[in-house]
Amino acid sequence: MAARLNDKITAALVALGICLLVYISLMSSLLVILIIVALLVVLLTYCEKTGLIDTVFQLMGKNTTLTSVIFGLFIISLPFLVKGNNDLLHIMIIAGIMGIVALGLNFQIGGIGQINFAPAVFYGVGAYTTAYLSVRLGVSPWLGTIAGVCLATLTGVIIGLPALKARGYYLALVTIALQTIFTLMIINIPAVGGPNGIPGIPYYQIFGYSLHSRVEVFGLTLPYQVNYLYLVYIVFALAIVAASRLFKSRYGIAWNAVDQDPVVAATQGINLTSIQLLSFCLGAAFAGMAGALYAHYTGFISNENFDFSQSLILICMVILGGSDNVPGVITGALLLTMIDQKLADYANYRLLMYGLVLIIILLVRSKGLLPKRIRIYGERDTGMSNGDAKLAAGAGGKR
Amino acid sequence: MGSLILSQVFNAIMLACTLALIGIGFSLFFGVMDIVVFCLGDIAIASAFCILGITSLTGVYAALNGIFPMVVSNIILVICGGVFGAILVTVMYHTVVAPFEGKNINASLLSTVAAGYVIRELIGIFYPGGRDPQNFPNLLPTGYLFNNTMLSWRNIIIVGTTVLVLMLLYWFVNRTKAGISIQALSQNKEASIMIGIDWHKMVIVTFLIGGFLLGIAGFLTASYASTLRFDTGSMYGLLGFSVAVVGGLGSIYGALAGSLVIAFVEVFVTGFIPGGAAYSGVAGFLIVVLFIIFRPEGIIGEKSISKV
Repeated sequence: MAARLNDKITAALVALGICLLVYISLMSSLLVILIIVALLVVLLTYCEKTGLIDTVFQLMGKNTTLTSVIFGLFIISLPFLVKGNNDLLHIMIIAGIMGIVALGLNFQIGGIGQINFAPAVFYGVGAYTTAYLSVRLGVSPWLGTIAGVCLATLTGVIIGLPALKARGYYLALVTIALQTIFTLMIINIPAVGGPNGIPGIPYYQIFGYSLHSRVEVFGLTLPYQVNYLYLVYIVFALAIVAASRLFKSRYGIAWNAVDQDPVVAATQGINLTSIQLLSFCLGAAFAGMAGALYAHYTGFISNENFDFSQSLILICMVILGGSDNVPGVITGALLLTMIDQKLADYANYRLLMYGLVLIIILLVRSKGLLPKRIRIYGERDTGMSNGDAKLAAGAGGKR
Repeated sequence: MGSLILSQVFNAIMLACTLALIGIGFSLFFGVMDIVVFCLGDIAIASAFCILGITSLTGVYAALNGIFPMVVSNIILVICGGVFGAILVTVMYHTVVAPFEGKNINASLLSTVAAGYVIRELIGIFYPGGRDPQNFPNLLPTGYLFNNTMLSWRNIIIVGTTVLVLMLLYWFVNRTKAGISIQALSQNKEASIMIGIDWHKMVIVTFLIGGFLLGIAGFLTASYASTLRFDTGSMYGLLGFSVAVVGGLGSIYGALAGSLVIAFVEVFVTGFIPGGAAYSGVAGFLIVVLFIIFRPEGIIGEKSISKV
């Protein structure tokens, strides 16, 4: 019993530490973030050498309720912690939106091991659908969002179909080509605003309460970003739960099996067509949802938000954080969005940074900051030896 | 109508010439190394920027023109571009291709795409005014043959250069020992290493030749468009890879056939469909997607069946 309590306290402390790190890097300048990242990398390598990281992950996995309550409280109190600074809240909202897209993209990159160079297409389809419906046709933003998710999922089928036939380089070419086609289409179709984008997208409303209004709590006036922060992070939390459940489910294992060898996977009774399409469609639905949130948050979208460099940034997040590892992908999304937004003074160097980060991470630590973990089912102390647990984890420890 | 079709055909051939060389670059690397280097388009554009840089250094260009006649100094410039391309490709090989040899192809795929972005952004940041469109100097003679507006000297020289380079490549691949070694490697790597072909040397030779081709390709496409933008490289590279895939990846003649197909589709969509200019890129890439879905081995390639 005492050991359980000890575990709980440790898990809570780790969760608090992560919150503190996020808070410090949010408040500080670019240099401090980079120093924190460097320290983290050192800490990570130390933990991996000593095997401490497994213990930490196990603890966090056992006490999910406690840690998620801590993270939830952190997000709820964040607007007060930053004293209603709308720039910092904006960074966190964008990080949440990017995190949702990255989690969806991870189903393809981490799951079936196919690099999809067109996540920004899904993201853009979600945003443009809801923007078009709500601006031009006056549909409610909520219905527009649902339509955006549906249409993005359909796009997932369209991009997923070639993926059934093509793998590796060919799939890369197909997805880059489709990304280019998408960008060309939205620039050239006047109905979606062409190069000018769609301005004046309405904001969400809940029972007549517009989310675009200031909030006054405890005598403190908070900017409208607070509403969106909560909305985005509720969706983000749902996405995290869905993604980690999928990772542990039969589908997650089937995806990994397809990644390792499609022929063997097929002989074991995995329906390659449906399982690969599922990966693309789910990823697309996540991205479509994020796109809709983005459109109704900023109120303006244009083709620049959804071009190939955006796709590259999203891929960079997944690879940097660690593909097929939900905490890793979240880390990548948070970290890169923060650095990106703080780089605003050096906008000239943004894409160069992403390119270099991607190359360096592939050269130095190709599995990402937080590499994929072996799936562990049930309690460790049910008499299963370590080897058995690994066997039970199925297609867990690959690459 | 007849002359319109004729002029469009000529346009398509011009476009095909600028695409063929980079497509061959992709095929060459894939044939020898089983690897697709996605940053080739950016390397070609970087070589064109190198030529542009030399011509804008007034002293050097004037000195060149003082020593040699105009034609020779221009050829020297083009060769400089080719050498720059070759050096850049070799650097790329050592930094982003070699470390991932034999590993999961996704790593090399991502690293080469990222390398393309790095090259492009480096041009944008460090070339003076690199983010603005640059006027590419007219190194090719102006004027027309037989006073026919279709047959400008520039176009004829672009086509002629492409044909000359292709003939040289044909000679190299089929008549020299190194070329035959490269062919052997692309057919069966293990067997060729067993009979004593130095794989590493051949890879470097391939990269040098491919890089030189890319330099010339960059020069031709910049001369054809007469403007140069730092960010056209990724599009150009994508078209080059498309051309190689449509023709059959790994085959040099396939790249030629593929470039004709893509060029004719793009030019005819632009020329004969009202408002089609905006969608020519869309049509070209749709053809590629259809080819990958229904005929992934390309026009010339052999169908490969994987057995368990």
